[in-house]
Amino acid sequence: MFATEPNPKDNPSAGPVSSQWPPIGQTEVVGSLDVTVVVPVQSGDAEVRQVLQALGCELDREGRSWEMIFVFDGVQGPAWEKVEALRSEYGRKVRTIHFKNPFGESVCLSAAVEKALGRIIVTSPQYVQVDPIELGDMLDEIDRGADFVAPWRHPRVDPVLNRVQSVLFNFVIRMIIGMRFHDLNCYFRAIRREVLEEVVIYGDMYRFLPVIAFRRGYRVVEVKVRHLQEWGRAGFFGLGVYVRRLLDILAVMFLTKFTLKPLRFFGTLGGLVTLSGTMLTAYLTIEKLVYNEGIAGRPLLLIAVLLIVLGVQIIGFGLVGEIIIYSQARNLKEYRIERIWE
Amino acid sequence: MSLSIDLSIVVPIYNEAESLKILHGEIQAAAAPMGLSWELILVDDCSTDGSHRIALELRKNDPHLRIVRFSRNYGQTAALAAGFDQSRGDVVVTLDGDLQNDPADIPKMLKELERGFDVIAGWRKDRQDGFVLRRLPSMIANRMIAIVTGVAIHDTGCTLKAFRREVIERLPIYAEQHRFLPVMSQGSGARVTEMIVNHRPRLFGSSKYGIGRAWRVLLDLMAIKLISQFSQRPLRYFGFLSFLFMIFGGFFASVGLITTGAQAAAFENNWTVNTWQQTVISVTILIWMLMVFFAMLGLLAELVVHASGMHKRSALSRLMNEQS
Repeated sequence: MFATEPNPKDNPSAGPVSSQWPPIGQTEVVGSLDVTVVVPVQSGDAEVRQVLQALGCELDREGRSWEMIFVFDGVQGPAWEKVEALRSEYGRKVRTIHFKNPFGESVCLSAAVEKALGRIIVTSPQYVQVDPIELGDMLDEIDRGADFVAPWRHPRVDPVLNRVQSVLFNFVIRMIIGMRFHDLNCYFRAIRREVLEEVVIYGDMYRFLPVIAFRRGYRVVEVKVRHLQEWGRAGFFGLGVYVRRLLDILAVMFLTKFTLKPLRFFGTLGGLVTLSGTMLTAYLTIEKLVYNEGIAGRPLLLIAVLLIVLGVQIIGFGLVGEIIIYSQARNLKEYRIERIWE
Repeated sequence: MSLSIDLSIVVPIYNEAESLKILHGEIQAAAAPMGLSWELILVDDCSTDGSHRIALELRKNDPHLRIVRFSRNYGQTAALAAGFDQSRGDVVVTLDGDLQNDPADIPKMLKELERGFDVIAGWRKDRQDGFVLRRLPSMIANRMIAIVTGVAIHDTGCTLKAFRREVIERLPIYAEQHRFLPVMSQGSGARVTEMIVNHRPRLFGSSKYGIGRAWRVLLDLMAIKLISQFSQRPLRYFGFLSFLFMIFGGFFASVGLITTGAQAAAFENNWTVNTWQQTVISVTILIWMLMVFFAMLGLLAELVVHASGMHKRSALSRLMNEQS
């Protein structure tokens, strides 16, 4: 699916590499480093040098050993050459993973975790979005026992319109999922390695990683961070973006709350629809019997019957969901044990 | 598990700080004279009132005690599932943490198991709870479960239950409430019976249930019926529903035929129909669509079951070994 640290001999288009990888030594052991910074590179103009210097300086100052993995998500362009230059400069501290096609940030992160040596994974956007000073505090939270540190950009510096939309998005999330996260749209996160080994993410789940980790029973801490700059478009996004966000929320809500009991979800939804249809039918029946009005040609009757039929169909889907879960996921655990005292 | 012992007692606890010490004493008093090797597994559902500290304190003086702590609150069903997963006993007894169940019933349950049963469900015949909010809904739920599943147990909601190890290992306890465990066991071939147990009024704390569970119990019941009795042949379950809709649609069609009468038959009017006929036709079609829909869902479910490999030889031989 993807090529890891491509050998320039196989792939001449990858650009010149001045220094080869050092031979694999004793340090190539998972957990031998404190921190692995994962940077999914989404576009050719990524500020890889700035990110490396800002975070690297801060990590050195904190006295933590680190490495940085740039995951090129099907991206060519100047960023690639820049990283090659950094690699010759920093040696083993800079590593790259290269996808031939864009797979999205979730897959980037999963691939990087496979290769990462650090005990803590820090994800960063491809530019210096948040004051690197905050990284120290975030890592301290992990040392204090948190499994996942989510950032909260406060105060924010991007245009008001973006902020309003972001606040709205997070508010909807809070309402639907019932958790108090303020800022899911900032990807500057510090995560204990075990969390990412346990929680499998795919598709657009990257954004919801704190929510998923929380539902899986990990301790998620939110810290306020200073916002430096924001890339991306100002103003309104395309309609497609809003629709996709809405679908994401629906998927996350369904998967985090109802994976093991699909009928509870479909049954409640279908029950409500059927109930509304039944109430309309009851109303029409009263009209017919008490007031003796003809109801035959009324659209309301058809709507009522349609609602009942729709509700029953939704419940039917829930039944198939139960069969799927029973037959495919019999050993799925719904709990996470913190500790056992034997 | 290699370190097999005779009896595991599983107690889910959530904020039971006051009763924990008494409970532990009573369980000790009940289990010690039996002369069996036993363990007590306290599953702490992330209590916030210091139950955990008290449990750790008790553990210092009692080697039988094991404590499992969740990383957050997951509810009683998950706590029982974790207790089952961690248990090592040939017999597993589950018990409420609020002292309403009497640990003195445990020896009696073991005697009952020896008579050849696999699952014993406690029956709180003289239940010490409010009537309208607790006992009445429970009675209705139990009647419904008995009618739908054919497993006649008076009190499915009682946490005090005893299981043989083989039954538990065959049982998929994923999201289901503990109340359905006897039904599920019977579905997988166990012999289930019930036994009248002592029930005491609540001394400490408050009840952690509400009446809002009724709808969920109903939904769970539908799911349990499906997976405990039809998981090998889902098309029958869906086919039955499909058949119901066929009858229902047929009923509507005949109502339409009778009410419109022979003289108004459509073909005599050059295939034009009046509004009443039109309504009957559309309702009938809609209901018959449901019939087709459920038949298709049934086929889909067959496909899922087939793809899951549940019928594979290894899975079957596991079942057979356990029963022989």
